[in-house]
Amino acid sequence: MATPTVMADDWVENFTRVCNQDEELQAHGKHFDCSYMLQMGNHNYQVVMHRGRVEEILVDPGPLDQRYQFLLRASEDTWQEFGKTEPRPMAHGIWAATFREDMQMQGDLLVLMQNLRCFTRQMELLRVSGVPVQEDVSAPKQREPSQ
Amino acid sequence: MAELSPVTGRYVTIDVLGDQCKVFFLENGDPNSQPLVCQHTAGCHNHQWRYLLEDEEVTSDYRVIAYDLTNHGKSDPPANKAWWKEEYRLTAEWYTAFITSFCDALELRDPIFMGCSFGGNEALQLALHHPDRFGGIISVEGADYSPGFFLDWWQHPHANAAQVSASGVWDLMAPQSPDSDRAATWFYYTQGSEAFRGDLYFYSRDHDLRGRLGEIDTSNCPLVMLTGEYDYLTTPEDSKRTAEGIAGATFIEMEKIGHFPMSENYPVFKTYMQQALQKINEEHKAAVG
Repeated sequence: MATPTVMADDWVENFTRVCNQDEELQAHGKHFDCSYMLQMGNHNYQVVMHRGRVEEILVDPGPLDQRYQFLLRASEDTWQEFGKTEPRPMAHGIWAATFREDMQMQGDLLVLMQNLRCFTRQMELLRVSGVPVQEDVSAPKQREPSQ
Repeated sequence: MAELSPVTGRYVTIDVLGDQCKVFFLENGDPNSQPLVCQHTAGCHNHQWRYLLEDEEVTSDYRVIAYDLTNHGKSDPPANKAWWKEEYRLTAEWYTAFITSFCDALELRDPIFMGCSFGGNEALQLALHHPDRFGGIISVEGADYSPGFFLDWWQHPHANAAQVSASGVWDLMAPQSPDSDRAATWFYYTQGSEAFRGDLYFYSRDHDLRGRLGEIDTSNCPLVMLTGEYDYLTTPEDSKRTAEGIAGATFIEMEKIGHFPMSENYPVFKTYMQQALQKINEEHKAAVG
């Protein structure tokens, strides 16, 4: 697997901060406890959530490093589009992209469903943090995280 | 002085294939104006039409009526049956009988029916079976067939069904729609998860008009279909294909809006709805001379 770029390290920091500062996520994340994998093109990002806060993000973890419960996978193009302020139709949501684009939900979908509200919100915070597949991952001018 | 809305709510009791249904409906507009009868989406209730009901520009021309389908909102399940002993599954036959019975009970003359999502599909059922009963039909986010959403996740006992139902339809809305209205629509969806799955039995299973579109007669009942470009369930392509199969039907794609247009972004929806109403008005006048 290719070496993660510095861009990914910046994203880990941005995404952690954006999530942990988000008023909506913090208001409803008391029981948001799970570990999930985001597969973005050739890279994997394992997000470990505890009580609504990002506890850890592993970049390209080894196959047995840490267990996770579900996985969300899509091509770089889909994630890049998803991260835009106005994504094209069908790449604008995790259900939309799963039904109509190349996104896939895998693993224990019950855990995904149990955390659907917060997980949905968290994925849309990628529009604030940027996604680590873009050349420029600086946060675009759009909906800001709650302060 | 209290800020009272002109919208009023009443109950009417109707018979639907032997089921005794006490139906709640909201309305606004001159009782003598042409009725515009509005059907909410699956697992929801009539509050989705809140902006339309208070839009003077529309209610000055139409008597806008938005009901809660039985098992939704303030319309209880049938009073004369042990509904709790059976699985709720809405059928096309029952749904169609409900709407005609409701219109009969209120003695509506030449009503325009406008339904969204599973109401948009039902609009096509009405266009097929009862074109003589309506002055026009608007199918919002409708298609001849819409598989894939009759899922057990909506009622899985190990997950929070209210949140799964609401967040499961979250990205049926367009990201351009205002946060406050998307959040309100989400909130409405937390209230109806027990009916949602059964409604989707109709939406994704019992409703299947493939191969029957050619039987729909629009000569005296104009049909307009409106679909938002961010609707991943019933896509604009699905509605366009459907409209192309119906002689005389009109399809209009709505930009920058999704599957709950009247609720998620009314100002955008209104421009398209007005086009639909104008089209129906023109075609109806042409038909009756």
